[in-house]
Amino acid sequence: MCTPNKIIADIFSPFQEYVNSEQDIREEIRKIMKDVEKPLREIVTLLQIIHHDNNCEQVHSACLNARKMFDDVRQGFDSLDKIVPSGQYYRYNDHWRFATQRLCFLAALIVFLEKGIMINKETTADILGVNGKLNIHLDLEDYLMGLLNLASELSRYAVNSVTYGDYDRPLQISKFVAQLNAGFRLLNLKNDSLRKRFDALKYDVKKIEEVVYDLSIRGLAQTPGQGESSEN
Amino acid sequence: MSRPRGKKRTKPIVGDKGKEIVENMDENDPVLVMFRSYSSALDEKHDRYERIIKQSRDITIESKRIIFLLHNTNTDIESKKAGIIEEAETRLKALVDTNFSTIANELKNEDSYQYHRAYTAGLQEFIEAYAFCQYIKKEDISNWNVMNQLFQFTNDENEKCSLLFPQYDLVLGLADFTGELMRRSINTLGVGNVKECFKLCNFVRHINTGFLGLMTPGNREISRKAYVLRQSLAKMELVCYNIQIRGSEIPKHMLISVIESSNLDEGEDEGYF
Repeated sequence: MCTPNKIIADIFSPFQEYVNSEQDIREEIRKIMKDVEKPLREIVTLLQIIHHDNNCEQVHSACLNARKMFDDVRQGFDSLDKIVPSGQYYRYNDHWRFATQRLCFLAALIVFLEKGIMINKETTADILGVNGKLNIHLDLEDYLMGLLNLASELSRYAVNSVTYGDYDRPLQISKFVAQLNAGFRLLNLKNDSLRKRFDALKYDVKKIEEVVYDLSIRGLAQTPGQGESSEN
Repeated sequence: MSRPRGKKRTKPIVGDKGKEIVENMDENDPVLVMFRSYSSALDEKHDRYERIIKQSRDITIESKRIIFLLHNTNTDIESKKAGIIEEAETRLKALVDTNFSTIANELKNEDSYQYHRAYTAGLQEFIEAYAFCQYIKKEDISNWNVMNQLFQFTNDENEKCSLLFPQYDLVLGLADFTGELMRRSINTLGVGNVKECFKLCNFVRHINTGFLGLMTPGNREISRKAYVLRQSLAKMELVCYNIQIRGSEIPKHMLISVIESSNLDEGEDEGYF
């Protein structure tokens, strides 16, 4: 026969303890993420310079500075690695998913500005400082989300570079985003958030193509839409 | 369904420039190679997820059937009751040995939390059936540690693997389980078993007390189920009240009709009586 408090003592009290210890870990993670989100916001602000100025030097130094700021991010993920219990990445992953996606975007943007190439997952994980960690890693979908965010930023960049008289940039961006688009078409996306985000990519592609079109019909583009788009 | 001809005009068309680049892209283009590997990683994850969902659905269906079967234990004939419990136990065991062990094997080298959402529904339904079976048998339910033992497996290669069983699923399953107790308490009246009805009500009261004492910030599922639980409990308490106040006026086998008619107009003005 069930005594009055047996079910409480047997089930609900242990459960409350379980919830409490989970909450403690969440609290620590939240604290760490605050330390990660600060440099994140600073890097975002810093890199907005690409929309203001066409000065190569300035963009370059912004990239350098941004890379330096990633030190703090890496430090944050270092402490996160120590807090997240082994094999429970996805239990707490809500706390850092969004910030990670933004950071992936920033890393991809920096690499694009520096070398004009698409960052791969490995390099992204290196920049974020989550590569080779015990308990945390870079989730593939977060990285892909970052690339899609990059496309939106680049469509804006294409428009603004025209404003500042840089007519080559949109062509480079157009090629880059077309590659990205082609890559994503190889993925079988489920009906999830990544899929929805990918569906929005075509609007960025369209925007960039309009810019390229405007340049071509006025003869402003060096490689007007006929073939030889191989230069970078 | 729109016909294939009726293309949506709002969709931007990938322009010539873009198409050209895509077509000119080398098969060995580093970007494409990169994405091809991502593609297989994503596919693997999605496939695994789907396979687990399928198992979870099977578990849910079978658990519901077992619960239905267990409602038949509401009889005076002890031997029949024991037979039903035995059958339910065998079928619960079968669920653990086949479906749950399949899921555990799928997740052997994975972070189970990534796939937990795929089987949480089945797990909760199973807990509901399992607790119901236990309760009918011995009027008690095991704690998490005991139940967690169910989900420790050794597979074909003699490796140990266990299925992640968060305590959340136990508590959520128990909340559903009280709904079955409510149904059972009404059914027991059908055979005039008044004592059982009070006992069930008491048991649910304890569970409700447990829920009231919980602090689970940010978990909407728990508060939603606690709300349903309170409604079930209110119904049961009303039934007990009716038995007490009218019990002496009516023969026992008639009680059920009284309760049912009072349950009908209970809708809006529950506390009026």
